[in-house]
Amino acid sequence: MQLLNQSIAQMLDFAAPILLASLGGVISENAGVVNIALEGIMRFAAFFGVWGSAVSKNSWVGLLWGIGIGILVGAFHAYITVKWAGDQIVSGIAINVMSLGIITYFLELIFRTTGYSPSVQYFGSATNRINLSFLSKIPVLGAFSRLTIFVWFSLVFTWGLHFLLYHTVLGLRIRSVGENPIAAETLGVNVFKIKWFSVIIGAIFAAIGGVALSLGTMASFNNTGVAGGKGFIALAAMIFGKWTPFGAMWASFLFASAQVLQFILQATATGIAAQIPVGFYLALPYILTIGALIGVVGKAIGPAADGVPYKKES
Amino acid sequence: MKEFFYRIFVGRREKYWWMNLLVPLVSIFLALIVGAIFIKSTGRSPILAYKLLFNASGLIPGPFWRSSFAELLLSSSMFIATGLSFAIAAKGGLFSIGAEGQFIVGAVAAAYFGYAKPFTGLSAIVHIPLILIMVMFLGGLWGLIAGYLKAKRGIHEVIVTIMLNWIAFQLIEGWLVPTGGPMSAKVETGVSGTPYISPTAKLPIILYNTRLNISILIMIVVVFLIWYLLYRTTFGYEIRAMGFTSIFNMEAPKVSGVNTSKRIMQIMFISGAVAALGGSFIVLGILFQYPPVFEGGYGFDGIVVALIGQNEPFGIFLSGILVGALRTGSTAVQIARIPKTFPQIIEGLIVAFIALQVLVRYLLFKLVKAKKRVKEVKSEGGIS
Repeated sequence: MQLLNQSIAQMLDFAAPILLASLGGVISENAGVVNIALEGIMRFAAFFGVWGSAVSKNSWVGLLWGIGIGILVGAFHAYITVKWAGDQIVSGIAINVMSLGIITYFLELIFRTTGYSPSVQYFGSATNRINLSFLSKIPVLGAFSRLTIFVWFSLVFTWGLHFLLYHTVLGLRIRSVGENPIAAETLGVNVFKIKWFSVIIGAIFAAIGGVALSLGTMASFNNTGVAGGKGFIALAAMIFGKWTPFGAMWASFLFASAQVLQFILQATATGIAAQIPVGFYLALPYILTIGALIGVVGKAIGPAADGVPYKKES
Repeated sequence: MKEFFYRIFVGRREKYWWMNLLVPLVSIFLALIVGAIFIKSTGRSPILAYKLLFNASGLIPGPFWRSSFAELLLSSSMFIATGLSFAIAAKGGLFSIGAEGQFIVGAVAAAYFGYAKPFTGLSAIVHIPLILIMVMFLGGLWGLIAGYLKAKRGIHEVIVTIMLNWIAFQLIEGWLVPTGGPMSAKVETGVSGTPYISPTAKLPIILYNTRLNISILIMIVVVFLIWYLLYRTTFGYEIRAMGFTSIFNMEAPKVSGVNTSKRIMQIMFISGAVAALGGSFIVLGILFQYPPVFEGGYGFDGIVVALIGQNEPFGIFLSGILVGALRTGSTAVQIARIPKTFPQIIEGLIVAFIALQVLVRYLLFKLVKAKKRVKEVKSEGGIS
């Protein structure tokens, strides 16, 4: 039972950053703006989170710094793609590439290193975790007894985003902008405002996911390991989940479960299984994802006007 | 996620064709200026940084020009390969992030056919083409997986290419190459990577006393072939039609009888083959083995190269040289206490300005029109 609870907790820990970032993708793409910059935003936020935490000795300040840089990068993306109808993929790639250069530059400038930042106050420390010790003895629910704040963020935001998109007027407007901006404009929706809003909120989600990578279970920024492709996995989870919050959640959970399964299989392998090279175990989550796509999920159809720059007729 | 690329070249007007050349050049110029401001604002010297960067880049003749020029072309050939790989898929309306995985598949295949017993007895004239063909075939198959799943199952190519990158990476570095793996060299201690390739597999040197080999010549041919394929054949016409209409589910080409699912598979095969060719260059021309730890990134940099080159084969050739130059010069900027990832800031800024090309074009047109008006006023003044 202990192992089950531990595994679920581990899975949730692993899924949280991916889920948060893919929620960012969900809201942005529902408003018709492709956000391939998730990876870059996560990287910016992960670094600024550590920087903020190092400066203030307080991990909450780190989180705020991360969100702040997330808003800035999101605004940059929105300025190019919404204001100037720039190509959304090109803008996203620009952010990803710049994040590699700029963060290494800052890492060297501030911490005098190009590898790991020094350790800082983080959310995974015993005092900062969310303690629900009364759950700890119950199977399955016990997994929720000592999680980091980010897991709770990811779960609450999934529900919140679902509510926003499908049960509020604003959500209807967001989706209408992503499906048919011209029709939305005709009905008096301010397409540009909606797009700006969605991109910025999406960037905030991705930024929180980024901070989760550096201040969640770790306490420092690892220049080669963050975001290490998690932003792209989040992108895949979003498409896998058919551009819906709960879809993204199940996709993230599937992927994270496959990762945890891989750890368990590798650790408990005996006999012939122990002879299987590590590479096969490590490749397993990705193979399972493709397998799940072939077997279960059909064709992925996104918002109709996703990725198409919107220009007002003048 | 619908397709987005038609933006890049829709809106092309014959009258202002030079705009398509000018926009990347202006973007590069603006990126260098913003990069300088960035360095200055952190209290370091932009002049020193750029001096070091471009002196070592191989673009400007100088004391060690010969070797840096060779290094520049050597790395450019790989960037051009991955850039072309991305661009072919993009021309057909597909967004392939798979060049990274196809690149390492190509590299590991090149290493295998370079050292494996039955092939080492061949002479170089037979051995090298054989390796390149096998590399392109295997890389093409790796790309074809994504093409097949897209065409037959409708699975989004972005997910599949991302997953295939990781699968390739984990299988190669977690199974094939590490100590004890089927392709590892048998040594007593330490990590080794694969055995070294036979001398007959090494690409011939074309510039005496440097590492410059025929890879750049191969890429010139490939660039021309891809251009020919895209603009002078029915096949190219069809895939461009698919790219232009991809936001409308490629309905127009489908109606006019294009077998789009077959074309998608062919595009992905070619895309994979070209990226893998780039991967073979790093093994056959630089490392001569697949190392235990592979410094990757060429696949993702290829996207940048393709975007700066506006997805046009000849544009990619030039932007590949630019990115190769920035990377060749990157180690030198460390003397100015600037990390060697600095060129990535410049590359990112160039791409950002390319994304902002609506604004850049707008400003350029304004400039042109203002000049014209001045001319008109002047000539009128002359007459009167």
